[in-house]
Amino acid sequence: MEETPSLIFITGGVRSGKSSFAEKTAIQLAKKSGAHLHYIATGVPSDREMRKRIQNHQQQRQESIIQWQTWEEPREISKYSQHFSEKSIILLDCLTTLLNNHLFSTESESIPDTVEKAIINEIDSLKDICQTLVIVSNEVLNESVQDNALVYTYKKLLGKLHQQLVQQTDQAYLVESGIPILMKGAKE
Amino acid sequence: MHFVTGGAFNGKRAWVLKTLITERSNLSWISAYDGLTLPNDLTHIQEGTIVLEGIEMWIKELTTNYPIQQCRNLWNDRLIKWSQWEHSHGNRNVILIGTDTSKGIVPLEKEDRTWRDVTGWCYQDLASKSDQIDVIWYGIKQKIK
Repeated sequence: MEETPSLIFITGGVRSGKSSFAEKTAIQLAKKSGAHLHYIATGVPSDREMRKRIQNHQQQRQESIIQWQTWEEPREISKYSQHFSEKSIILLDCLTTLLNNHLFSTESESIPDTVEKAIINEIDSLKDICQTLVIVSNEVLNESVQDNALVYTYKKLLGKLHQQLVQQTDQAYLVESGIPILMKGAKE
Repeated sequence: MHFVTGGAFNGKRAWVLKTLITERSNLSWISAYDGLTLPNDLTHIQEGTIVLEGIEMWIKELTTNYPIQQCRNLWNDRLIKWSQWEHSHGNRNVILIGTDTSKGIVPLEKEDRTWRDVTGWCYQDLASKSDQIDVIWYGIKQKIK
């Protein structure tokens, strides 16, 4: 029997189609196993543009025939764990926003090592509870590293998180212009 | 020569250490991140593996001191010397690690634009002279040459 992946990592550039691919992947898995779909939205509607982006994503999920349960949580992604089970497929979109919310929020601890551990721990605990956790992130590390200390910290932390996730994950995809490239693992 | 590239903080150094370096490598690790200068001549090193890390930083240094075409000439002179060093003895390897800086938005400052342009050209020159090239993506290698 095929193993169901417990973690899938998906990344890509801006507007590469990574979110659509992630949603499609989650839906396919849910159809196969009869699991429920959960969506953890980390985006905070801070301004008009962000509100519009969030609306677009919400509309897309409403239009899909399959029912998504959405949980909005900017930082503490395992907060709603009691609602998840081994019959849950969770889509987390996206890691870069989550890291933003951790690093640039006055309410939270922003020591890099602490943030790194906190995010990895929460991802681990989510992954252990559900059937499959799908994580979406961004490709932002292929430009000259700026001298700005905050940007440097952000990039270093994101790179470390990506490396750990790719190491842990069953499948890793890089999405280029809507085309998913399998970087690690095997397709079902 | 072996060129290892990929985005920042993608695990390039860890991959080189894990995959290419053994106890018998007789390793000389020269890193721009440690503030060391770009080596010109390697002939004082008898044999073994030389890793030149952070080449984008050395290219930046070139661009602050020389006009663009001269940067590229100086870079190519070095590539030829390193390649000769490597090929003149059986037990010699040169590994160059350079961060890919080519996929962001156009930098605001002229010096940064020049740095990015020259880095791209220098990487192309290096790639054409390399025997092997690996792109590291969060610890996973993709061999492209």
